[in-house]
Amino acid sequence: MPKASKGVLVECDPAIKAIILKIDQEKNEYIVEDLDDTHLMVKDSKVQALKAKLDEELKNAVSYPDEDDDSDRG
Amino acid sequence: MDYLESLQGVTKNQLYKQPSTVLAVFRRMQSHLAKNLVMALLYMGRPIAVADLDSWVRPDSIKEREITVVQLERLAILSVVSNPGKPKAYSLTKTFANSLRLALTGGGNHLSFGVPCSDPYGDPISIEDLDEYAREQWESVLGYMVGNPWKPTGSKGVELSEAVTNLLAFGELITIQSKGRKAQITQKGFAFLLQDVNAQIWEILMLYLNRSADLRMERVEVLSFLFMLGSLELGQSYGKSNLTQTQTLMVGDLTEFGIILDDESSPVFYPTRLATTLTSDSGALRSAISSTTVEAGTPGFIVLETNYRIYAYTSSALQISILQLFSNLKVRYPNMIAGKISRDSVRRAVAQGITADQIISFLDTHAHPQMRKTNPVLPPTVVDQIRLWQIEGERMKTTQGYLFREFEDWQEYDRTVKYAKDIGVLEWKNDSKWLFFVHKHEQLASFVKADKARRAAEGR
Repeated sequence: MPKASKGVLVECDPAIKAIILKIDQEKNEYIVEDLDDTHLMVKDSKVQALKAKLDEELKNAVSYPDEDDDSDRG
Repeated sequence: MDYLESLQGVTKNQLYKQPSTVLAVFRRMQSHLAKNLVMALLYMGRPIAVADLDSWVRPDSIKEREITVVQLERLAILSVVSNPGKPKAYSLTKTFANSLRLALTGGGNHLSFGVPCSDPYGDPISIEDLDEYAREQWESVLGYMVGNPWKPTGSKGVELSEAVTNLLAFGELITIQSKGRKAQITQKGFAFLLQDVNAQIWEILMLYLNRSADLRMERVEVLSFLFMLGSLELGQSYGKSNLTQTQTLMVGDLTEFGIILDDESSPVFYPTRLATTLTSDSGALRSAISSTTVEAGTPGFIVLETNYRIYAYTSSALQISILQLFSNLKVRYPNMIAGKISRDSVRRAVAQGITADQIISFLDTHAHPQMRKTNPVLPPTVVDQIRLWQIEGERMKTTQGYLFREFEDWQEYDRTVKYAKDIGVLEWKNDSKWLFFVHKHEQLASFVKADKARRAAEGR
């Protein structure tokens, strides 16, 4: 008999998936199942927390040009 | 239309008694195929068999036909006639067909298109005056939403009644602070402001409709009045005498939004351009009103440079607060403000539920005449970047649902997956691991059970 389990399907590109895996490594509290290169199944209650973590991680990883550039070089 | 689908059969039937409603529904139909089908069936005495219906449609568009028929059925326009011994057949619902015939060819004593008043009561009102009035009312509603009684140049500010503010609050477009009548706009409200006028009016009317139940107004009457409005003629006055009590009440309420011009003491009312364009799909009228209505008299005031700087020649608080949604404003002069669109500011807007397309279309609609000289109007680099900034926030796409696993054999997996695909709940599958993900599981669970039982029976 097949089983059904509740959760959230996350679709993302492989680079993002690698970051999510890294976040999960610490406590293993997010991921239910690693599906394939671009898909993951995540616990229902942890999606928001994961999103926040991912944003944080991305902020550190990528630098953006200075927002308050007020000169005319544009 | 979605709202109409959700109504009960009896309500729909009552609605379709009004030729104006039927005509409006017909005009709003999205697909041309639907219109074709309805027209073809309109003067057909007997129901038409499914096979004959199929022969009208090219074989490669069967899918479209399927969708159209289902939609028409849901609107209770098309009904299935089943006679024992005969193949399944379709016909138009009687009420709908009768009313549409009446609407197209005239005749009948239904008065549902409103009663034009031949002898003008008092001074006739010109179309320009009506436009002016509609603009003033609508702007003051929008102005009120951003929290300042913004006065259009050269006229007194318009005082809004409690009914209007309550309606806006009901739709969560604003929240009203406990003391006083100061309104605080919500995120939903901001998204509302960025839409075009016709969409805004529809949203307001939908709110009105949803609220009418709370106010103990007869829903059918409200709806048919709304549909009637769409078929009225601009610049013509209409008598109020044949309106029901509910509808008379509505005239008063809609006057506040500038959809109708009405003087309580006179027996007639005038629909404004906001009303007459409701059910028409002609874009020209719509844009005509959006250029006059949305903001102030000046046609465009925004200059956007390739370096993301933005200059807006305006002093209106409404425009400034809208701009502030997606840009960082730096300097404000008496007649102009300057700012910059940045990654942060766009991300902030997106987080509030505003889409990149809304921002772009807002900038486009209000571009300064100087910018209109170039083609495209907005610098493509900036437009692309705004879109990219939006996508950036969507690094992962999440879907709630259920993962199915641990199938006993390939056949079981294969059948279940196919079924999931057919009923349109399948989100993802992996054939090699026998796993798949769906966003709804109830139907599927019963399928699995039934399948299991069937196979057990076969096995014996």
